[in-house]
Amino acid sequence: MKSINRFIYRDPRQVGLNAVFGNRDFGWKYELIGLVFFAGLWVAAAGFFFTRPDFTQFNGFLPGPTFKALFAASQESRFWISVFASLKRIIFGIFLASVIGVPIGILVGFYPKFRSLSYSPIQFVRMISPLSWMPIALLLFTSFESAVYFLIVMATICPIILNTTIGVLNINPQWIKMALNQGASNFQLIRTIIIPASLPYMLTSLRLALGVAWIVLVPAEFLGVSSGLGYLINDARDTMEYDRLMAMIIAIGILGFALDRIFQRLQHTFNWSWNE
Amino acid sequence: MMDEHSKPNSRRQFLKKTAAACTGLFLPNAVNAFAKSETIRLGYLPITDATPLLVAHGLGYFSEEGLVVDRPVMVRSWKILVESFLAGKFNLTHMLFPIPVWMRFKQKVPVKVLAWDHTNGSAVTVKKDSDIYSFKDLGGKQIAVPSWYSTHNLLLQMGIRSQGLRPVIKPQSAKLMKDEVNLFILPPPDMPTALLGNKIDGYIVADPFNALAQVKFNARIMRFSGDIWKNHPCCVIVANENFIHKNAILIQKAINAIVRAQDWCINNPSETAHLLSRDGEGYLPFPKNVLSKVFENPHKNELTHPQWNVARIGFQPFPFPSATRFIIDQMRQTLVEGDTLFLRDLDTPKAADLLVENSFVMKSMDEIGGMNRFCNCDMTKPYTREEVVEIN
Repeated sequence: MKSINRFIYRDPRQVGLNAVFGNRDFGWKYELIGLVFFAGLWVAAAGFFFTRPDFTQFNGFLPGPTFKALFAASQESRFWISVFASLKRIIFGIFLASVIGVPIGILVGFYPKFRSLSYSPIQFVRMISPLSWMPIALLLFTSFESAVYFLIVMATICPIILNTTIGVLNINPQWIKMALNQGASNFQLIRTIIIPASLPYMLTSLRLALGVAWIVLVPAEFLGVSSGLGYLINDARDTMEYDRLMAMIIAIGILGFALDRIFQRLQHTFNWSWNE
Repeated sequence: MMDEHSKPNSRRQFLKKTAAACTGLFLPNAVNAFAKSETIRLGYLPITDATPLLVAHGLGYFSEEGLVVDRPVMVRSWKILVESFLAGKFNLTHMLFPIPVWMRFKQKVPVKVLAWDHTNGSAVTVKKDSDIYSFKDLGGKQIAVPSWYSTHNLLLQMGIRSQGLRPVIKPQSAKLMKDEVNLFILPPPDMPTALLGNKIDGYIVADPFNALAQVKFNARIMRFSGDIWKNHPCCVIVANENFIHKNAILIQKAINAIVRAQDWCINNPSETAHLLSRDGEGYLPFPKNVLSKVFENPHKNELTHPQWNVARIGFQPFPFPSATRFIIDQMRQTLVEGDTLFLRDLDTPKAADLLVENSFVMKSMDEIGGMNRFCNCDMTKPYTREEVVEIN
């Protein structure tokens, strides 16, 4: 009984990942101060390393050239095409991963046997760098675009499965007992309790997936696609134009931040229905 | 009557179309391969080695030959290019000469070399203030190569051995003897950066990564590759043997277009640089000033054999058998990481014959005027030559 009580009385928003990826608003002041501090670190570190005379080729990493390059890029249609191409890949990739991963996560969380069965395969697959799937992606899929989606799905599916499972496992057991008492079937349990109650965890998993998806995007765009922010980063590396490289990094940061905000709002919308 | 007929038909068509659209996204290649008629699918890396393919597309030579060819697809590494070729995503690409040798005789993939893509076009690059002026200065140094199975690795090790030094593959922290030259793999785009950051003492790679280092931080070309082995082949045009047999006409037309493009490149170097650059058609991500350097010929004082009169990058399509044999023989002596047993039992002349299919390119060359469009060679025996290698 003791363990159950712990779940009842504790605010679920404080548990585990939810402390960071929950729907709490940190307050714009703190966020701004954090951002300014981080920018200060960049200015200091870049100023320290890349102003040395033998590193003049690298002064593109400094904030001035970076923002100039970002401004110049924002005037080009190529940049915007790439932004939309990358966003499309990220969003569609995560969508595919969640279509596959969320049901698996629910099943893994709900059926203990399935959990024991799937534990080792999931732990096995989870550790493999998604990029080692690249040759398989090339062999299996007809277009390079679909190979990129495959890589994003392979990278994001594990966090989605695992976090959904955690969500299912963290449901207040008394709700389940109550429902069972009233004769609920497994299907009814899943539909009326498991899914709504673990929804915040699923949304958290999407926010985790978002970060991972951006990580694989740059190397995934090594493949034969002709647009994307990762593609532009590769171009910048090929031509040693580090101001453009930094500009793309900033662009990815801004887009990632914005997407995360959107997911956070979604989380907020869905949270009240069961928790407050 | 008409209506009754067309309705189920169109529904079936719709189903077919959706099915085709879906397989396009998710199903393996094999299913799809039967559905469409063959076209040429070109792949390339962002280096000037790809020039003839890109120019042939850029000038519309493929369509003039009656082919419908999509814009060539750029990938960023040899691994991805080879894997995509094996997966059938590309059916005509350029590859460094040792790669098809390795594919054909080690991996047993029936590839054929159809023509030379270009000649020369690489260099050993060092920092401006480096003390490396020739191969004999390489003892105890760290030199990067783009891939073990690369023309660059062969040329570099030829140079190293000729000076009585030994190529080795060791961790970078290992202590080197005076006569050892440590080799390791680095992706070409990282080479100039690594050189600038003093992680390596030099590198050998295809242009424009040498020209880029020259333009960006005044790096010095220690030796042009054409200055080691006169007009050596580097990248070759490769296709699968089965594909060639099934689509001989298609291949002939494609090679015609490529050979015409090579002829155009020889006569229009600065236009070629512009066309490829991001200021032109944007096939390569580089600005024009970097590419111009590749298509300009080097100063006499940068060369050790000015009398050879070689271009920094040349375009001569005919695959001289003597050069193929030389490449295979050199591969035997070249240190690489991985299993090279397959080379030991290879009969060089036989292997060279098996690897190269020169009938297409000979026909293409005849059509635009034969060998003398491409070199000032001995016209009594245009299809043989003596390989000239001199390292000092």
